[in-house]
Amino acid sequence: MSMQATARPLEERMTNMSLPTIHMAAPMPGFPAHQRFVLVRLNDEGLLYAFTSIDNPELRFLVVPPEKFFDNYTPEIPDEALALLGYPQAEDLLTMLVITAGRDATSANLMAPIVINQVNRMAVQVVLTGSGLPVRAILQRGK
Amino acid sequence: MLVLTRKAGESVMIGDDIVITVLEARGDVIRLGIDAPRDVRVHREEVYRELQAANREAASPTDEAVAALTEMLRPPPQH
Repeated sequence: MSMQATARPLEERMTNMSLPTIHMAAPMPGFPAHQRFVLVRLNDEGLLYAFTSIDNPELRFLVVPPEKFFDNYTPEIPDEALALLGYPQAEDLLTMLVITAGRDATSANLMAPIVINQVNRMAVQVVLTGSGLPVRAILQRGK
Repeated sequence: MLVLTRKAGESVMIGDDIVITVLEARGDVIRLGIDAPRDVRVHREEVYRELQAANREAASPTDEAVAALTEMLRPPPQH
């Protein structure tokens, strides 16, 4: 098993310009100026990614694929979000949860996942209003 | 703040293409209908504020926090 990838700093990997640019179809709440991001894998097993702003690489979010941590997380994406994403096929959608890495606890935002259309690389942070899903769900070592 | 009085069934226009209609007023609960272009995102304010706060808290974690998380996600040792 290769451990090299995790040892390399993020900035070094940011120079890899082959990473596809992801465009926010609507800005993330709180970050209106950031329209373009890249998704950088930080973990060999694909458990952890950085969602890093191209407009300002100092802004990054940690994101995780929900299926590795939360069973039965299959949010219904509202029509408005599907319209913003260009009406993708379900299999072309990639869902990522935004992580808040605290010193004592780490949480995942289940209420507002980042959903990416992998075909046109448009993304939106979908707000699952009325879902009752938590903004801060405790993240634990997954399956 | 601009203050307007509207009855149920009446609307307010914001710009050229956003229409907010009062559908029903019952006591202190008002139901609104909102017609807006699809690139205008409409949220309940408290939901949007909470999400804004959560995003700001999540943004740009320290290297220590990233290291701790990476450690937590490390596969358990194989025997």
